[in-house]
Amino acid sequence: MKSNTDKKTLARLQSKEAVLLFIFIGVFVLMSVLSPTTFLTWRNLQSMAFQLPELGIFAIAMMVVIVSGGMNLSITYTAALSSIIGGLVLSKMTAAGIGPGPTILAGIATFFVVGLACGALNGVIVADIGIAPMLATLGTSTLFEGICLNITKGGAISGFPDAFLWFGNATILGVPFPMIVFVVVVAAAYFLMERSPFGFKIYMIGCNPTVTSYSGVNVKKNLHRVYLFSALLCAIAGILMSSRYNSAKESYGSSYMMQSISAAVLGGTDISGGYGRIFGTVLAVMIIQVISSGLNILGVNRFIINVIMGGILILVLTINFISSGRKANAK
Amino acid sequence: MKVAQRLKQSRELGILLILVVVSIVITLVAPAFFSIENLFDILKSNVVLAIMAIGMLPVILTGGIDVSVSSMVAAVTIIVGKFLMNVSGNIFLAFLVGCLSGTIMGLINGLLVAKLKIPPIVATLGTMSIILGVSLYYTNGNWITGLPKNFIDFGRITIGSFYRQGEEMIGFPIQLLFLILVAVLTWFILRHTLVGRGIYAVGGNRVSAERVGYNVDRITIFLYAYEGFIVGLAGVVHTSIMRQVDPNAFNGFEMQVISAVVLGGASSLGGYGSVSGTLVGVALFSVINNGLILMHIPTFWQKIVVGIVLIASIGFDVTQKRYRESHNTKVDIEEA
Repeated sequence: MKSNTDKKTLARLQSKEAVLLFIFIGVFVLMSVLSPTTFLTWRNLQSMAFQLPELGIFAIAMMVVIVSGGMNLSITYTAALSSIIGGLVLSKMTAAGIGPGPTILAGIATFFVVGLACGALNGVIVADIGIAPMLATLGTSTLFEGICLNITKGGAISGFPDAFLWFGNATILGVPFPMIVFVVVVAAAYFLMERSPFGFKIYMIGCNPTVTSYSGVNVKKNLHRVYLFSALLCAIAGILMSSRYNSAKESYGSSYMMQSISAAVLGGTDISGGYGRIFGTVLAVMIIQVISSGLNILGVNRFIINVIMGGILILVLTINFISSGRKANAK
Repeated sequence: MKVAQRLKQSRELGILLILVVVSIVITLVAPAFFSIENLFDILKSNVVLAIMAIGMLPVILTGGIDVSVSSMVAAVTIIVGKFLMNVSGNIFLAFLVGCLSGTIMGLINGLLVAKLKIPPIVATLGTMSIILGVSLYYTNGNWITGLPKNFIDFGRITIGSFYRQGEEMIGFPIQLLFLILVAVLTWFILRHTLVGRGIYAVGGNRVSAERVGYNVDRITIFLYAYEGFIVGLAGVVHTSIMRQVDPNAFNGFEMQVISAVVLGGASSLGGYGSVSGTLVGVALFSVINNGLILMHIPTFWQKIVVGIVLIASIGFDVTQKRYRESHNTKVDIEEA
């Protein structure tokens, strides 16, 4: 009996991603048919591949925390703070006449250090003090935003070495470099979350932290790690963003915050924790990208695109609810 | 139960104490803070935040959250603005239209959360995109100006004008009446009605509340609709203060509302929180903002201070709760 229900849930979980894959293929084909001369061109595909990685990396940063039963509302300001302090190092060292090699090395190291510091703070507040993740990260996001504004005084930081622009704008064999970074991030996140003991513990914590703790898992340590991992991804997104914009500002990417929650949830992640597949989140990000680019090409008003995105979010969750109800009845 | 009651009160007292200390510090640095003009200025510029925070309180009490409030209030201001311009300049009707449209939007949130079991943050995220998208598409981001004179005059009414500074009379702005109305109504609902008891019960333990016989779905729908009603009222009040409609005026406002409620001690952990606490939270939030400006501290510090106060106050709350729980367990063992 038990193994039977296990099989059923297993089948359902796998089909969740399969449905997303079909939806992705569906919207892609639909957009290609509606606008074959603009949508289905190498240029458009390449431009989508430049835009997608930022949301994609943020969505994974959000998703790993949601899986642990938390929420990270500070992702975009973590990225912004690491961009601004990293950007400061880049521009100051360039202004001081230091060569691009050491400058970029030091700059990128700063991005990571600042990002990880933000993640460590989130980890301490959530795991050690025990504040509800949503409120904790609401507080830290306000804090990070304040620090950003204090450094930039509301302006933008620029004057990066030209070589730094390579990260966000270069292509290798026609593939945008951000896309390559995204693929690496996805692979790393997949192995970490779904193929390693660490990931297994995170899923367990997301299901039930108390039981997980009683089964001998150090919940605090693993929560620290998941917030660090999330912040690391934010720092990477920060590098790509500041390179693409050739500057750093606190408001860059702030719209990604809500979008990344949408992407994680559309990708089948259980908002209360314990379930979520990297592949599902990636598919959701791709669907969002194709729909927004496609509608944009078709000349749909950008505000209406927002409406459609919101509608899709609610529609997908409604379908989830109805189908789960039907399955429960069938049992 | 009595202990919990006392601790909850001490929590509000604690925030009040912080508020007093902060106010004294600000007054010492910038004496202009403690002038009647400035205090009334703070009052008037934060009435809308206070009204919306009180609307958000019941939602947070049940462990929910509503990130769509900013888009809802923006939509209400647009609807009311267009109504006043194109249909009728009647103030009473304007309030009716505002509250009704707010209630409908809130009702939709409530139905999504209660009936379709969509987690509150996701459901309201979805409605936020939809409402904001429609509002901006409809107005194209343009302001609505030139509202009817009687509505503008209404917004200027002050009660008990007792202080004269130059030409302008200073008194309690009429908008304060609506805050008092909302505060008393919400206090009454939370403290003296079955629905209010239900809200605290659901916040404490959803399953228990259901077993005791509360209709959790109906309570959920009610509180989102009620929040919508209050947000609708806040929209009209805001329009009466600003005398024009800016569709983008509320971008990011939801975080301020949530911060103020949380600062006021509301927590879904065990369904704590009260109207008075929320009001003190809003006061603290607005005094910090105003004080930093008066002390000539760059406004950029405002976010840092709010962030730290937010984390510190919730951290204090959680640590206190944990201490109490460990204490309770010991008592249980001794009794057994």
